[in-house]
Amino acid sequence: MTLETEAVERFRVVGGSPAHHDFVDKVKGSLLYAADWKLPGMLHGKVVRSAVAPGRMVSVDIQEARAIPGVVAVLTAQDVPSNRVVEHASGGLGELTVEMPVLAHDRVRYVGEPVAVVAAVSAEIAEQAAELVAVDYADLPGVFDAEQALREDAPRVHEDGNVLVNWRLSSGDVEAGLAEADVVVEGEYRSQHVEHAYLEPEAGVGWIENGVLTLRVSTQVIEHVTDIAAILELPENKVRVIASYMGGGFGGKEDMTVEPYLALLVWHTKRPVRMIWDRQESMLASTKRHPFVMRYRTGVRRDGTILAQHVDIIGDAGAYPCLSARVLFAGAALSCGPYRTPNASIRSRAVFTNNVPTSAFRGFGAMQVVFGYESQMDRIAERLGLPADEVRRRNFLARGDFIPTGESLETAVAVPETLDRALSRLGERGEPSGPTKRVGRGFACGMQPYGRTIWFYDRASAWLSLLGDGTLLIRTGVTDLGAGQAASLCQIASEILGVALDDISIYIGDTALNPPAGGTFATRQLYMSGNALLTAARELVDRIAPVAAELLDCPADALVFQDGLVRVGKGERLGTGLSLAELVKECGDRGVSTAHLSTWRAEAGTFDPSTGKGGSFPDYTYGTHAADVEVDVETGEVVVLRYVASHDVGRAINPVRVEGQIQGGAMQGLGYALLEDIVLEEGNNVSTLFANYLIPNALDMPDIEVEIVESGEGKGPLGARGIGEPPIAPCAAAIANAITDAIGRRPSRLPMTPERVLELLAEEDQ
Amino acid sequence: MSKVSVNLSVNGSQHEVWVFPNDLLLDVLHDELGLADVRYGCGEGVCGTCTVQLDGEPVSACLLFAVQVTGREITTVRGLLGEDDSLHPIQECFLRHGGAQCGFCTPGMILTAHSLAERANRPSRAEIRYELVGNLCRCTGYTKILDAVEEYVDSRPSEGA
Amino acid sequence: MVCAPFEYVRAGTFDEAVGVLIEHGEDAQLLAGGQSLVPMLALRLARPTVLVDINDIGALPPEADGAVLPLPTLTRHRVLLDSPVVAREVPLLADCVRHIGNVRVRNRGTVGGSMAHADPTGEIACVALTLDAQVVAHGPAGRRTIGARDFFVTYLTTALEPAEVLAEVRFPVLRPGQGWSFQEMVRRVSDFAVVAVSASVDLEPDGATVRAIDVALAGVADRPVLAEREALAPLLGTTAARDLVASAARSVADATSPEGDVHASGAYRRRLVDVLTRRAITEALDRAREGSIAA
Ligand SMILES: Cc1cc2nc3c(=O)[nH]c(=O)nc-3n(C[C@H](O)[C@H](O)[C@H](O)COP(=O)(O)OP(=O)(O)OC[C@H]3O[C@@H](n4cnc5c(N)ncnc54)[C@H](O)[C@@H]3O)c2cc1C
Ligand code: FES
Ligand code: FES
Repeated sequence: MTLETEAVERFRVVGGSPAHHDFVDKVKGSLLYAADWKLPGMLHGKVVRSAVAPGRMVSVDIQEARAIPGVVAVLTAQDVPSNRVVEHASGGLGELTVEMPVLAHDRVRYVGEPVAVVAAVSAEIAEQAAELVAVDYADLPGVFDAEQALREDAPRVHEDGNVLVNWRLSSGDVEAGLAEADVVVEGEYRSQHVEHAYLEPEAGVGWIENGVLTLRVSTQVIEHVTDIAAILELPENKVRVIASYMGGGFGGKEDMTVEPYLALLVWHTKRPVRMIWDRQESMLASTKRHPFVMRYRTGVRRDGTILAQHVDIIGDAGAYPCLSARVLFAGAALSCGPYRTPNASIRSRAVFTNNVPTSAFRGFGAMQVVFGYESQMDRIAERLGLPADEVRRRNFLARGDFIPTGESLETAVAVPETLDRALSRLGERGEPSGPTKRVGRGFACGMQPYGRTIWFYDRASAWLSLLGDGTLLIRTGVTDLGAGQAASLCQIASEILGVALDDISIYIGDTALNPPAGGTFATRQLYMSGNALLTAARELVDRIAPVAAELLDCPADALVFQDGLVRVGKGERLGTGLSLAELVKECGDRGVSTAHLSTWRAEAGTFDPSTGKGGSFPDYTYGTHAADVEVDVETGEVVVLRYVASHDVGRAINPVRVEGQIQGGAMQGLGYALLEDIVLEEGNNVSTLFANYLIPNALDMPDIEVEIVESGEGKGPLGARGIGEPPIAPCAAAIANAITDAIGRRPSRLPMTPERVLELLAEEDQ
Repeated sequence: MSKVSVNLSVNGSQHEVWVFPNDLLLDVLHDELGLADVRYGCGEGVCGTCTVQLDGEPVSACLLFAVQVTGREITTVRGLLGEDDSLHPIQECFLRHGGAQCGFCTPGMILTAHSLAERANRPSRAEIRYELVGNLCRCTGYTKILDAVEEYVDSRPSEGA
Repeated sequence: MVCAPFEYVRAGTFDEAVGVLIEHGEDAQLLAGGQSLVPMLALRLARPTVLVDINDIGALPPEADGAVLPLPTLTRHRVLLDSPVVAREVPLLADCVRHIGNVRVRNRGTVGGSMAHADPTGEIACVALTLDAQVVAHGPAGRRTIGARDFFVTYLTTALEPAEVLAEVRFPVLRPGQGWSFQEMVRRVSDFAVVAVSASVDLEPDGATVRAIDVALAGVADRPVLAEREALAPLLGTTAARDLVASAARSVADATSPEGDVHASGAYRRRLVDVLTRRAITEALDRAREGSIAA
């Protein structure tokens, strides 16, 4: 494969790392997040949540709460016009149809489920009232483990059964492949519930303006406006959602959070309402990452060639569907990783339990399985006595190869380059720092999709307008997670139109005013909105260039848009030019519009759940992470000494931000590997304190060293690949492989706590 | 319970505000004085998004009541800005290094680092890490934050050198 | 997160504070650094109706008084960490404070608050037990002294009477021939300890024979506790050979029966007690021996 380095050099703004205005506001502290709005007469909202589950709701008494002075509303299920949210995460491909009530009415299915909602004149009174809402529950038998929930005699979380969806993918003939294999390697891997733990808790403010219910919330998806309208039985055009810049989302603000509760309270009280979830409330009841149980059986030839792989995945969906069907699909589709697997049989089930619902989280099912397939690859290497990188190199996918859904890969697979870069960056191994210490090295490769599953016919729109003074206005419905989504769009516009970044204003995330772009998830925003904006900018250039060409007396293709000017870039008239402001005026005189809207459509396809064949994702981002660890064999403590993350990002639109994404993602992955665990005891969350849920701090982990590969091969604008999610994926496997290297025992359960590492060591003693 | 008047000195300006004794400094700064750069993130003293400097030293505004700080000087990250709203050099460093992603942790991070730089003579990267453990960041992985702070402390004249 | 309402009273002297406690009884609670109390108020785990802020009492910088370092209750963790006097006179105390919370916690949290809060994982309490510090309580009838070893009763409960205010904690200063060590295991740096062990060893003037040994444990019971005397007894009068230290540490661990929580099981904690006690005694011995040579 070729690295198009010349192409990289061609860009002026893209590929540099300018700081955008929102980042200036961030370091000043002046960016206003969802909790930062206050309106006259504003009330404070609070959700009342079930303390037990599952349970039948015998009675709900709101009298006492309602009687407190300052309480304006206490609403229960009967006050919700249409008390249901129906999720068809898979696009209707075979999942159960299960309704999730906005407020529980006859039964609660998980601890923390909303049962009522309160508005009061102060947060203190709202809290007091919430404590006084008295709900009587009759206990029901519950099931808190996905594997147990699969049993015939398990209590049913929903009437239609506990299996939300059962995906099956297959290619070739697995049994024949396994029979032909010289060696069959088996492994079982388990992951845990994980919390997004964005620093900004879920929040928003709502009000009514001109008869339109307006919510300004921290959300990744303003398109939930339709769900909100449905719940309130309002016309869709009478609800408006504005997305504030988020203090992190990571998938946790992809489902609705405060929206329906805020909407209900605003609509009932006709007053502005603010709702901020307590951190402990967010820990208790916000959606989590799915714990997976993954069983792998891999048949290989003596030379390491993979012949066949059997994968069985069970994901704990919790009590309601949310996006589980799609998460488990991604897990299935990516379960064989970046390796040729001619014969594959994959089953992936999302299973209801009475645990907190699980849903989208950076990596979206495709990350859990990396722990599975990359542990398998190391096991295979061990069994065959081959170097771990060698086994992988013999099996890496390449352009044109098929993945288990039957699709062939259309862009370069630069995973070998990332492997080389990661390993060579690590260099020499260090020595243990003491007699009870063992050092080890491990790495893991990964493959993550970007863009939505292609059967959703994804599209995004962007509008831009060159103004009379030569400045540019961009409007698009994207939401900004904090990763610079808006800023990257400005950079692309600046590149094409030659408007200085400081002269670009962007308005995002507003269903009333901006063309829809689809939510910020699935690492789709740069891919989708980036392409939409690129298209819009190019089309605008195509429209106004002839005017400039006429004025400058040159062919249109000789023009260069740069530094706020249109100049003649070649030929006789080289050097002459006019300012964008002049061009806009001239366009106006000729009736040529300098505003332009474009809609970009992703490639589309279909998937047949009965055969497990069809289209899945538009494209993938590949990478390799490598780590050196030191294990204390007396305490089981694991210290990560060095950590290198390498990804092929296609094109780094803004290298500093790309590095930042990789470092942040890898750090989350390290937390997932070693620290983080939402501990549920019979459905009761005992990790609701932020002090007890251990996200990494500045001392826990080393610097993340980044190696960026730019193949120029992505399907995003200017050849970029999505990089939002991929860097979280390989971490757990890389660390597990490093620990195995250090102690000769393989962890198969996350997180790899000191206690679990010590247990592994104890096994060795026997 | 009734409200009491307290005099708060914030970023060099004096404010008389009426508060309940159980009003946290965090809520008074954020909601009453409109200082949105002091943020709720956990209320447990763990995350650091509510960091302010109290007489120059970082504290959690979520663990102080407003009635407690009469007569003390409170600095929020806005207090570091120049007269004309220009960035403080440490803010410039954060901007240049990409030390902020979502930006939610940024004010607290900057205030903690800033007070370290005022107190310590050219702290090492390890010392910076130690100082910042109580300011959690979920976006950056800390590397760029540490780079930013390191550049800032290295750019300052060293004492008695 | 809103604290339930309360009346706020500032006390500028111990007598004033005691006065408020007498007047309001159980409904009143003292507020020092607030780093433990305020989260409990915000989470509504505590609901005093009167909060007595004692911060105005203040604290003079640490200064040794003969063989004792008296620390006023409002001495902040930060002072313990930074003070050259503390580092010189009670190095074990200075060392343990490195492990406490983050800079904001240390800027506000106090030595008296830590003792009075009696968190089972508290580092300062653990050191106070090891060194047999003395707690001075200021009550309606004046002051009395309570040995740290009699001070911790059970979970978040001490021997202070309802109307008593902790006024001072008196730590014995480092003796010739004494060595010390503080060992802690945490899941995430700066958090409360999973298990912490603090040890002090006194050698005979020969610089080799163990005259006294004191070990305290955090994170293994409903309060910080002293290690079993019998477990350590075999080391007394010996030169504390390695295997003897190892078996003593094992006995210390065997005598504990820690419970599990989100961070670690009881069994794992016991294992940590074994390892950390061995490391703590070993390091304390090394320091004592070095000190003896230097002396
Ligand atoms: C994020 C975080 C991390 C922390 N990590 C650690 C850690 O690793 N190790 C550790 O030991 N601690 C830790 N702490 C707690 C910290 O050390 C507390 O400051 C300390 O435990 C209590 O001290 P305080 O002065 O803040 O007391 P307060 O919170 O004000 O009071 C605590 C209790 O003591 C009582 N009290 C206070 N002073 C007196 C007095 N003079 N007489 C009688 N009663 C009194 C109060 O009424 C209250 O019941 C942490 C706290 C936070 C927020
Ligand atoms: S809000 Fe104060 S530390 Fe988190
Ligand atoms: S930048 Fe988002 S939490 Fe730090």
